[in-house]
Amino acid sequence: MYTLIKISWRNIWRNRSRTLVITTALVLGIMGGIFSAAIRLAAEEQQFEDTIENLVSHIQIHHPEFIANPEAHYRIPDGKVVAEEISEQAGTAALSARLVMDGMAASANMNTGVRIKGIQKEAESQTTKLDQLLEEGTYFEEEWRLPSVIIGRQLAKDLMVETGSRIVLTFQDVDGEIVSSSFRVEALYTVTSRRFEERTVFVQADLLGELVGDTEAVTEIALLIEDADRYREVTDDLRSQYPDLEVRHWADMEPALYYSLEVLDQILIYLVGVIILGVSFGLLNTILMSILERVRELGILLSIGMKRLKVFSMVVMETTMIALIGGATGLTLSFIMIRILNQHGVNIPGGEGLEDFGFASVLYPDLPTSFYFEIGGVVILFAILASIYPAWKAIRLAPAEAVRAE
Amino acid sequence: MQTVIKTEGLSKTYTNTAVPVHALRDVNLEFKQGEFTAIVGPSGSGKTTFLNVIGGLDKPTEGKVVIDDIDIATMKESKLFDFRMRHIGFVFQAYNLIPVLTAVENVSFIMLLQKRPKKEMEQRAKEMLEQVGLSDKLNTRPAQLSGGQQQRVAVARALASRPDFVLADEPTANLDTESAFNLLDIMARLNKEENITLIFSTHDQRVIDRAKRVITLVDGAVDKDEHFDRN
Ligand SMILES: Nc1ncnc2c1ncn2[C@@H]1O[C@H](COP(=O)(O)OP(=O)(O)OP(=O)(O)O)[C@@H](O)[C@H]1O
Ligand SMILES: [Mg+2]
Repeated sequence: MYTLIKISWRNIWRNRSRTLVITTALVLGIMGGIFSAAIRLAAEEQQFEDTIENLVSHIQIHHPEFIANPEAHYRIPDGKVVAEEISEQAGTAALSARLVMDGMAASANMNTGVRIKGIQKEAESQTTKLDQLLEEGTYFEEEWRLPSVIIGRQLAKDLMVETGSRIVLTFQDVDGEIVSSSFRVEALYTVTSRRFEERTVFVQADLLGELVGDTEAVTEIALLIEDADRYREVTDDLRSQYPDLEVRHWADMEPALYYSLEVLDQILIYLVGVIILGVSFGLLNTILMSILERVRELGILLSIGMKRLKVFSMVVMETTMIALIGGATGLTLSFIMIRILNQHGVNIPGGEGLEDFGFASVLYPDLPTSFYFEIGGVVILFAILASIYPAWKAIRLAPAEAVRAE
Repeated sequence: MQTVIKTEGLSKTYTNTAVPVHALRDVNLEFKQGEFTAIVGPSGSGKTTFLNVIGGLDKPTEGKVVIDDIDIATMKESKLFDFRMRHIGFVFQAYNLIPVLTAVENVSFIMLLQKRPKKEMEQRAKEMLEQVGLSDKLNTRPAQLSGGQQQRVAVARALASRPDFVLADEPTANLDTESAFNLLDIMARLNKEENITLIFSTHDQRVIDRAKRVITLVDGAVDKDEHFDRN
């Protein structure tokens, strides 16, 4: 066994440049694969943090009519009770019961349509972490004569206002009567979605409830679940629990985002597949060439009594060794690459345009350590697969023919 | 003296060619323990085919090859590998050696396949390299050896595992006269000292004289079988 390893090891260095070329291909292939996977993962995590967890939450519950007519009139019956029930269920990580409605925001200069979200300070900071998204100002702490409103940076620009400015919000109360009220801008928040920044304002729910004439009113329940991957199951459970309410998960609410992630996934699978296949065929070709060059030598090994199984193992071992060298080098370099990129961030070309769709323009890729071992395993597996054909070729040699070969 | 190899009605016809080639025709020969035989004949007369068939590298179309009371012509492929490793030593015309192993590793190789104890193996390999005059090249790789030296390592390897007999197909074909004589002298000496049966093919008139028995093949059939008394 030891001699077999020794022979294999020395064999792969007989054609040094060829081995180095294929090893380099392996290293680059692994780095490319890991880079794409890391970017993919970082994009997904950033999506979840920025869009799903900060803006939409995993699941939202409304009155069925509310989707088309976002008015205070379409409240969730016994909304506070429903919210209480759900927040006590296992699997619910955080929950925010809101009073949400569409309305108008006006400054001295401009006015624009907005979605007004009446929230509970504590619940909201646990759900969307709104308090952490503030760019300037404080989180409902000021004791002004006018009530506070927190608006997006982009909306502040559009309305030409800043923190401390007064704006007027206009909306309908529960009976459809128009209500107007003045608010003072306490803080500006910023998120990756410009559209959201432009269209969403936050006020405190109790106060908004008074203005619309129902302090118990809840029109939207947003929740985060413990296991984000189980969003479909949890949604189905809630649907059967509350058949009269509209329960939607993030993929329903943000189909464009969902499909873009899906497409990204598909592209990535193809990309990694092509890389793996390409490198495997390169490896197969290299080993096959080295076998064809050694027909006579292999014939002599078979003639003097080296068993076919041993010759087969030798060829597999040669391939595996190349894969091990390339794999170890590729994984080490990838690990270093990801560390560096994680520190400095990766600029996505054209990323600014993507921000409107909730993509960040700078990503900070990171990978779990287990991922490197998985990739390593896949590389070794494919190397062994790629060695089977050449090894089979080698043992199919008839000794008498092989030793005659010139 | 004991018979080592016996062929009965040995024929080999290649049918993969346009016209069937009768490479061996009804060859009946016996080789006794300690014989030193040259197989001669013009190119294409069947020398290589004969050695391959009695060495179990190739199957005859008809006939028997009896070694140790066993007909290896009917032996299963998997058993033949083991049989060759245990009973037959081979020396080919060129590229005999494993290029990535040193001389001493090459000589040990068959013993290694036979799973002999390491100590015995090393000692025997050194002894054999000494016998062929290469005790100063133990750790040299084949590429650094001359053609003649490589062939001597191959002879050392073939004999190291103490096979029943050694087959050498044109062992001197690629060598200059001096190296050729030198190799044959070594083979003749080992034949005597180790009492090993040696059969080699050649169409080199220079080295035929070293053999105690000369078998001439013509068109795959035995034309002459002569014994000489030499020392
Ligand atoms: N694999 C094969 N397929 C078809 N014909 C073959 C094959 N091997 C050998 N022959 C033919 O069988 C005959 C005997 O060949 P062989 O190689 O045994 O002769 P040889 O005496 O060793 O010749 P040389 O002195 O040139 O080495 C030749 O006619 C050769 O062409
Ligand atoms: Mg020949």
